[in-house]
Amino acid sequence: MTDRLTQLQDAVDQLAQQFVAAVHFVHKRHDYQTLGPNDKVREVKPEEMQQTIDPLPAEDFQAGLSELSRDLITKEQQIEYLISMLPGLQNSEEDQEKSIKELEEDLKAAEAQRLEALKEKDEILAELDRVIQSIHRP
Amino acid sequence: MADEEDPQSLVGTFPEPPSFYKDFTPANVSRIEELRKAAGIEDLASRLPDVPEDLINLQPPAEPENGKWRVFGDHYTLEDKLPTLEEVGAVSLPPTHPSRLQASPSSSQVAQNNHYDHALELKRLTKSLLLNFLELLTTLSQNPGHASAKISDINTLLINIHHALNEYRPHQARESAAELMQDHLDTIRRETTSVREGVDRARRVLEGLGSLTFAEREASQAPVDEEAEKKLRKQQDGLTLWNCADALLA
Repeated sequence: MTDRLTQLQDAVDQLAQQFVAAVHFVHKRHDYQTLGPNDKVREVKPEEMQQTIDPLPAEDFQAGLSELSRDLITKEQQIEYLISMLPGLQNSEEDQEKSIKELEEDLKAAEAQRLEALKEKDEILAELDRVIQSIHRP
Repeated sequence: MADEEDPQSLVGTFPEPPSFYKDFTPANVSRIEELRKAAGIEDLASRLPDVPEDLINLQPPAEPENGKWRVFGDHYTLEDKLPTLEEVGAVSLPPTHPSRLQASPSSSQVAQNNHYDHALELKRLTKSLLLNFLELLTTLSQNPGHASAKISDINTLLINIHHALNEYRPHQARESAAELMQDHLDTIRRETTSVREGVDRARRVLEGLGSLTFAEREASQAPVDEEAEKKLRKQQDGLTLWNCADALLA
């Protein structure tokens, strides 16, 4: 799991790759069309056709188109969501510095308290030890 | 040249250590230390102005003069800052948000600004990215020759988005630092509380024991008629004491 900015940059790169993939799909997988009633699709030998385009059946091509466009929109929405989730959008640099300073103070205080508690614990342990050693089970 | 490589060092699975390691003899090291002392330099990083030729490898090389150097084909600068879009030769899209239009483009002022419009800016860039792609497809379907202009538009948009995100990185770094500190603080506080709880429990046990020993002493001070009865009483008291202690500790 990377940080959100890197996620966002990756998402943008993926969107760009999807652009390329979409153009490539449209470019390569379409079938020949006639422009007017008098036109005729020229018969091409299959091996020659392989080099230029690789047509899909009409429904599959349409399905591919809509899937690609849906993916594009989804990715774009992901990016927008990631943007709105960027950490600390509402904080300015001064706010950040202030809160970091406060946290530093709090950390120092908490550390002191922790050490104090540990000392207390050691004392009580020593006392307990003393008491236990002074008792003998009859 | 001092750092001329031995041709044999290129053979072998692992590269040889740099040849200047041989210069670090005890005699040489003590010599340079004396020179340092004589020049009054304590800090290892600061350099002696002129050292004898055979000691030249014993102190770190000087910083590159223009602040730039190359490693593995990449360029580095001493000053670790984000180059502006103009410096890397890309078109910088001007901010469209009114609050940023007035601000001067210096990065410090932008950083002072609330970052909320930063997000808005990014969202706009993303939206125009999608729109430009649509326009690119239209151009391609109608006049493929004109597509290159649209492609460079998309390129500019992508570069701008990445640049805006990189500008945001210091902000995120500060934010993550604060988050880490908060986590650490919570851990310390939790630890302190649990230690305190343990101490309190132990103290209660001790107090319980203390009151019991007190009771026992009273019992033993009570007048007794016979030696045997006294012994028995004492034994019984001891047993109750131990039972109570067991109950407390359980």
